[in-house]
Amino acid sequence: MGRDSLLEMSGITKSFNQVEVLHGVDLTLNKGEIHALLGENGAGKSTLMNILGGVHQPNRGHIKIEGKEIKMESPRISQEQGISFIHQELNVVTDLTVYENMFLGSELRTKWGTLDVKEMCRQTEDIMLRLGVEISPKTYVRDLETSYKQMIEIAKSLLRRSNIIIMDEPTTSLTDNEVERLFGLMRSLKQSGVSIIYISHKLKEIKEVCDRYTVLRDGHFVGNGSMQEVDLEEITQLMVGKAVSTDAFYHEQTKGDPVLTVKHLTSEGNFHNINFTVSKGEVVGFTGLAGDGRTELFESIYGFRKKYSGDIEVNGHPVKIDHPKKGLQAGIGLVPKNRKENAIIKDLSVIENMSLSSMGNFERRGWIHSKTEREKFQHYKQQLNIKVHDPNRTIDSLSGGNQQKVVIAKWLEVNSDILIFDNPTQGIDVGAKNEIYQHIMNLADQGKAIIILSSEAPEVLRVCDRINIMFQGEITGRFHRDELTEEKIMEYATGSKREAENIG
Amino acid sequence: MANIEINQNQQPTSTSRSKLTWLWSEYSVVVAFVLIFIVAALMNDRFLYLQNQMNILMQVSTIGIIALGMTVVMLSGGIDLSVGSVLAMVGVFSVLSLNATGSIVVGILTALAVGAFAGFINGMLVAKGKIASFIATLGMMAGARSIALYTADGGSIAGDVQGFSSIANTELGIVDLPIIIFIGLTVAIYLLMTKTRFGRYVYALGSNEKAALLSAIRVDRIKVGVYSLCGLLVGVAALIETSRLNSISSSSSGNLYELDAIAAVIIGGTRMTGGKGKVIGTFFGVLLLGVLNNMMNLLNISPHLQGLVKGLIIIVAVFFQKRD
Ligand SMILES: Nc1ncnc2c1ncn2[C@@H]1O[C@H](COP(=O)(O)OP(=O)(O)OP(=O)(O)O)[C@@H](O)[C@H]1O
Ligand SMILES: [Mg+2]
Repeated sequence: MGRDSLLEMSGITKSFNQVEVLHGVDLTLNKGEIHALLGENGAGKSTLMNILGGVHQPNRGHIKIEGKEIKMESPRISQEQGISFIHQELNVVTDLTVYENMFLGSELRTKWGTLDVKEMCRQTEDIMLRLGVEISPKTYVRDLETSYKQMIEIAKSLLRRSNIIIMDEPTTSLTDNEVERLFGLMRSLKQSGVSIIYISHKLKEIKEVCDRYTVLRDGHFVGNGSMQEVDLEEITQLMVGKAVSTDAFYHEQTKGDPVLTVKHLTSEGNFHNINFTVSKGEVVGFTGLAGDGRTELFESIYGFRKKYSGDIEVNGHPVKIDHPKKGLQAGIGLVPKNRKENAIIKDLSVIENMSLSSMGNFERRGWIHSKTEREKFQHYKQQLNIKVHDPNRTIDSLSGGNQQKVVIAKWLEVNSDILIFDNPTQGIDVGAKNEIYQHIMNLADQGKAIIILSSEAPEVLRVCDRINIMFQGEITGRFHRDELTEEKIMEYATGSKREAENIG
Repeated sequence: MANIEINQNQQPTSTSRSKLTWLWSEYSVVVAFVLIFIVAALMNDRFLYLQNQMNILMQVSTIGIIALGMTVVMLSGGIDLSVGSVLAMVGVFSVLSLNATGSIVVGILTALAVGAFAGFINGMLVAKGKIASFIATLGMMAGARSIALYTADGGSIAGDVQGFSSIANTELGIVDLPIIIFIGLTVAIYLLMTKTRFGRYVYALGSNEKAALLSAIRVDRIKVGVYSLCGLLVGVAALIETSRLNSISSSSSGNLYELDAIAAVIIGGTRMTGGKGKVIGTFFGVLLLGVLNNMMNLLNISPHLQGLVKGLIIIVAVFFQKRD
């Protein structure tokens, strides 16, 4: 409402299928500020931003930019107003190269009218360097790891000359290190007068980089203000409506027999000579920066990737796994990262997504028994607090965090002895995170072996018994939880320190 | 998703209207079918005769059975261009084995086996050979036709076993057997696609293959199954086609059937890239094409013009369907 407010959204109301999800929300954005948009999963943050981005049309309400009312009828119009949008789910085209993705739809041309590949590559390299990423602009995106894809999305929005950048959870698969670089860039953008709307469930980041905040709860505006005047507890309270305990619920597990033993696992260009063991009832974490190879490592163990050498033993028996189905039969489950690409079947309903990997549990004499499916879903809906209006609708009608909960429910239902979670809390809010961690601890109590891959140091520190740190495809450090701090993780993750590999 | 929401900008929509919107978006082919049906009935009073209605059903039964298989293939994200040629090849082999053994059962089994085997080859090429389905089945299309022509010396062969032609020419009450087979198979494929794990996996595969694989689904086996099933259904269709006239032409039988089948599937609302669509949609798509053909015949439209009318109707039908 200040003189220099750049954007004013007022009274925004939006319904999907007769269900109102935004009830007259206001948002004001000043020039040159970083504005946090906060709220639980399903609060309506992405929907509000999709309205600003011209993806959805509001039922009621006004959008004013520099005092002038604008109808955002399409994403194109929004872009013309100088708004660029990093969507919650990754939208890179995997069959194109990095630079082609960066300039998709706004390719640079030479004076002859041909594509100016050289200049596009130069600019791509330039912006990537500023983000601290070293990838060749001509690499195909399909060969890149999720965190790089996320950085391409970020870089793309930075390339455009925009006054407003919407960042809907841009850092879900990035490490502190990479996030720091991004924040550096965001601050310099702010200096040059660009405003940023920043959505994240990582409150630490919010506190660090944001100037003001707006909080939504269940589609209602519940408050805004300056970041300096509040602490994180107050904000959480606003978001959730009650205080959230961040108590440590970790407790030492009784460790059983080894269930998964990996020896000398090597895959050219991805990981090298990996050795580790996980026992029953244990929670083991793997962390590292982008390009550390942990995702590739566990995709290989699960059977999704086939080109590797070395030995894998489950319960003491050597196994040869060359297909995820065989991985599952050997007792290994994998909750993949980057749900849009790897986990969500967007044309199937919420319920069908939940049951997809464990159809056997829902069959009677070969026929799917939908009543059992429905009941099971109700169970997980309560347990994980999944916000859904109609579970028979396709899963893309859920908010990002709630989709993630369905993905987790799907693997809880599979109930395998060894469960690998790759970035399990992507987009999940503070309160729900605790519930998920609690579930993971319960699984360990039941004697399951749990492996958590995460780029967030606090996450692995909270739930894991032991933590392995990887750097460029090798395990550089192995620690018990008591021996570790976030700083120490960073030293090993960046390769500035390493322990001598004492096996082999 | 994004498209329907535009309709909701106005004041609170009444529930009956939203029901209509839903009906249109989910079953636009049924609506289109009813419209064309009414138009046909108004234009020519012979159209509604029971005998004429049965004729229509009889005429679409072959294409209809093939279209069921095509639906499954297209839901999985593929396409099968070989159905017409495979039909001719199956016909030739089944008549040959029929004449050689004198047994109708052997003739039927040969037809089913040859059809399923051709589909199996298609499936292996797509799943294991990682060849795009368009290319793999294009190869099969040329190959199967050539085998049929070579085996039958380019001509037709007729069955010389009594009773074979009764497969397509038996009537139960007033309903011909092919119609019953077509409707029975529609129900079967519907159940397969909605009530079994196979169907669920086909949708998943067509929608997001990588996620399906990571969900521990044997994606390659499902693909082989999908094409084999389509081949098997082509086998059934070939039996009906052959038995109807008690002969098969290696050069002209099944020509352009793939186009009619694909048209029916697309009109029925199945998405070209897979993952979305309904067996019931295909059923009505097939009927729609049948009614259209029948209407043009009753109205004495020149056969040379019928293709144009059909093409236009297909494009218009698809144009008005909800797209995403
Ligand atoms: N396309 C859609 N169709 C139907 N309902 C939708 C659609 N998109 C969002 N919703 C509903 O709107 C509500 C708000 O969703 P939104 O995606 O805005 O939440 P969010 O605040 O971004 O949550 P998250 O932190 O999980 O991303 C949810 O209840 C969701 O189910
Ligand atoms: Mg969201």
